[in-house]
Amino acid sequence: MRPKRKIGLVLLMMTLVLAACGGGQSKEQAGGNEGDQEKVKLTIWHNFAGDDLRAKSVRSFIDQFAQDHPEVTLDAQAIPPDGYRQRLSTVAAANEMPDVFFVYAGSQSSELHQAKLLQPITEVLDAHSDWKDKFLPGAFDPYEFEEGQIYSAPLGMSATSILYYNKALFDKHNVKVPTTWEEMMAAVKTFNDNGITPIALGNKAPWVAQSTIIGSIADRVTGTEWFKNAAAQQGAKFTDPEFIEALGYFKELVDNKAFQEGANSIDNTQAEQYFIQGNAAMMISGAWTLTNLAASSSEEQMKDIEVTTLPTIPGGKGEAGTISGGAGGGLALSSRTEGKAKELALELIYAVSGPEAQKAIAESNSMVMYDTEIDESKVTSLYYKAFNLVKTTGITPVYDAYLSAEAAEVINNGLQEIMMGGPVEGVAQKLQDAQARSATP
Amino acid sequence: MPTAMRSKGFIAIALLPALLLFLIFVIIPVFWSAYYGFFSWKGFGDATFIGLDNYIEMFKDPIFWRALRNNLILVVSSIVGQVPIALILAIVLFKNSFFSRFIRSAVFMPMVLSTVVVGLIWGYIYHPQFGIANYVLEMLGLDSWTRAWLSDPKVNMLAISIPINWANVGPYLVIFIAALQNISPEIHDAAKIDGSTGWNKLMQITLPMIWSTVVVTIVLCISGSLKAFDHVIVMTGGGPAQSTELLATYMYNSTFSVYRYGYGSAVSTMIMIVSAILIALNYFATRRKSS
Amino acid sequence: MNLQTTGTENASGKRVIMKGLSGFVKLLLMVYAILTLYPLYWLFTSAFKSNQDFFTNPYGLPKEWMTENIFRAWELGNMGRAMINSTVVTITAVVLTILLSVLAAYVLSRFEFRFKKLVVVLFTTGLLIPIHSTLVPLFIMMKNIGLLDTYGALILPYTAFELPIAIFLAMAYMSSIPREIEEAAMIDGSGWWGIFSRMILPLCTPIVATISILAFLRFWNDFSFALVFINTQALKTLPLSLSLFSDGFGTDYALTMGAMAIAVIPTIVAYLILQEQIMKGMVAGSIKG
Repeated sequence: MRPKRKIGLVLLMMTLVLAACGGGQSKEQAGGNEGDQEKVKLTIWHNFAGDDLRAKSVRSFIDQFAQDHPEVTLDAQAIPPDGYRQRLSTVAAANEMPDVFFVYAGSQSSELHQAKLLQPITEVLDAHSDWKDKFLPGAFDPYEFEEGQIYSAPLGMSATSILYYNKALFDKHNVKVPTTWEEMMAAVKTFNDNGITPIALGNKAPWVAQSTIIGSIADRVTGTEWFKNAAAQQGAKFTDPEFIEALGYFKELVDNKAFQEGANSIDNTQAEQYFIQGNAAMMISGAWTLTNLAASSSEEQMKDIEVTTLPTIPGGKGEAGTISGGAGGGLALSSRTEGKAKELALELIYAVSGPEAQKAIAESNSMVMYDTEIDESKVTSLYYKAFNLVKTTGITPVYDAYLSAEAAEVINNGLQEIMMGGPVEGVAQKLQDAQARSATP
Repeated sequence: MPTAMRSKGFIAIALLPALLLFLIFVIIPVFWSAYYGFFSWKGFGDATFIGLDNYIEMFKDPIFWRALRNNLILVVSSIVGQVPIALILAIVLFKNSFFSRFIRSAVFMPMVLSTVVVGLIWGYIYHPQFGIANYVLEMLGLDSWTRAWLSDPKVNMLAISIPINWANVGPYLVIFIAALQNISPEIHDAAKIDGSTGWNKLMQITLPMIWSTVVVTIVLCISGSLKAFDHVIVMTGGGPAQSTELLATYMYNSTFSVYRYGYGSAVSTMIMIVSAILIALNYFATRRKSS
Repeated sequence: MNLQTTGTENASGKRVIMKGLSGFVKLLLMVYAILTLYPLYWLFTSAFKSNQDFFTNPYGLPKEWMTENIFRAWELGNMGRAMINSTVVTITAVVLTILLSVLAAYVLSRFEFRFKKLVVVLFTTGLLIPIHSTLVPLFIMMKNIGLLDTYGALILPYTAFELPIAIFLAMAYMSSIPREIEEAAMIDGSGWWGIFSRMILPLCTPIVATISILAFLRFWNDFSFALVFINTQALKTLPLSLSLFSDGFGTDYALTMGAMAIAVIPTIVAYLILQEQIMKGMVAGSIKG
């Protein structure tokens, strides 16, 4: 008798636990089906989860869409950026994509496209041609996977190689703001002699040096054409002398102690703070620094900071006075969304990346790939300067937007290696090998 | 006396729920993931069967071997660091006085903190410009010892192992305290009469009594160190130039950053194989000692 | 007379040395404790700093106490709801872990049966598994059985992954409980369930508390499973709220620290409560001896 009663007890406990677990589920389903049967269910995933102005304005456009469309049950999920890739990859493995989701420009979106998980949004762009036409040249480049078919509209621009400099420090030590490589090296020397870090760099996340420095320097040396060919592995290789030379310039900065010691172990935010507090004279960084500084620094600190482009390089084939950059991430549409849901999903994409949204994003100290006017009073003075700088300069490609994910990883790590004293030729060879592997399927 | 039948019923009912849950949620996914290791697969889209190619590539990749070496550094540092420190603290603090309760709680605190906080703090300690470590060395006149602790590949793995050990002493301390509870006071009294104190008592009485727990903690050190991930991700991200890469961060990057899911699965299977080998070695080593 | 005095003098001299030694040990322990408590202090002061203050003044007290960090983090991170979810998930999973693991450990440490070795080896492998590799298979599996996006999607895998450690700790602990206790009970006519619930379980209080602490921390802080297996906002757990304020380009430290300070309090409370339970074994120990 006794053991049986105990068996019953254990079974009862198990059932209770399972019931408790299942309880959450049935409640959820009930929640989902609540209300009108004709309601269309839409899911949107994005990583605008934080408290910064841009994230808030993107979320407000999503909320607005939900209000304007009572016929839609909108499930909007703000996913922490740290886990966004992992989350999206996992659901992609199970083919469970949400209807609309944020994708990064570059390897992530192209991999998802190759796996046939995306469908073009060309029709909504064509339906609002005035909107489409105001995107800056090159805005759709990372998303035009087939001729004439566009898969996303960028929500931002990544201008990645702005030269920020502390004017007060330049004046104090009587240094000329560098416009040529020679002047750059002279400035590096003078600041080092005076115990000031010439260039602040936080390369702990190893994409930083690649995205902010090498893309622009290499473009100055090799020209854009060469890079696009090398990325496509057609007629150019990363072991070509011009690229070795470009890496050599980066090495020259390293060898002359242009960066503070241990730059590989501090992160971008710390480097920004190091710079804004006057410990470093320059910083080569992207537009995100504007957003970060707007949130963490005072106007007082920012008033000494000016922006310009990287200096020219003697004998280089590339255009001078350019900034590397390109379209940022945007919203994409799942290939499984069809019919009424698809129509509404496209409308949702328009609502969140349309003209009003672009303007709002631009006014939250964050650059866009879209021709829009901004209200000077709404942004920081530093952002306004950079905004106008970027408007007038040419844009050259960012390396990792064109390289395969693996090759991007290789050049990122390779630059850290050079900073640790590694040889440039070895890095060039590894990059070439990695890109060749992915270019030839 | 319970009959054999009743014992069987008890065994089945007491063991089956745990076993079933474990089989479904741990063992099946593990084999499933190991199976992906034989494919070239991005994690989505089409997969191609490639046999052992992932494993062959792994053995040829110097980064894999470096990651393995780094993991072994952690294994060794945790066995010679965490375990003895925790054991000594457990013995010293094995009283219910306010003081030892306070110290015990304090030692455990790094464990309750998120790894992000631990990483940030140690980032400040090791900071190349205003770090406390370098400051202290300068105060001591050891200027030549100062360096960028986390980016110098000669020392950074060692530098990382310190906070990992520091943060993990707590759980081992708790485990040892619990184990010490199980030694009955008579044994302590008997030891006193024999005149065994201090070191002798530790070696002759305490250690043998809790030996099975010591073995378990070593197993936990091995398995924990080979799975180590969080602290390194926060402090260095495996860099610079993959000098602090661990097997788990290597696997994570392959899987989620480079879109090589099949390869990542092969790496994670390898993590299990390596830990299994080490644990088997430990089993034989500790068995001989205890007998 | 003389001899006696020297004797006491010797003894008291030894006592002084011993006292000095224990004072020195105490001092060392205090220093160690400060080193381990400092991060907590740092977290709680940083939680009240502005972003600017956080960077310019990383070690000192806040220049201005920004209590709004806490409130804004609470609101933006939807931390009230997340706290409830984390509590439900963590406590259920801890209770389940304890029940299943202590029972299993008892069987594995006291009985001989076929396949016992196999079961032990199987649980050992459970210690070795890097969780990230199981995300995709678990996701697909739970999708198919309809478990995804429920509390169960966290509770069951949490428990399953914690079982190996729990079972091993409990087995190691039980191996030093003398078998005579059970033999005596059996003569009294108690069945296995009776022995287990009336004798073994109370004796195991210290290790149960230990397992609870470890499991609690693991479940409370888990990010990966919580990120992937839960969709619905209303079911999300705390760790997701903590990483909301960092975007790969920069981190809002004021809010991150605020959120972390909130999230760490329950773990401290849980630890302090459970630590008392570990020491309760002392009483049990003296009875059993």
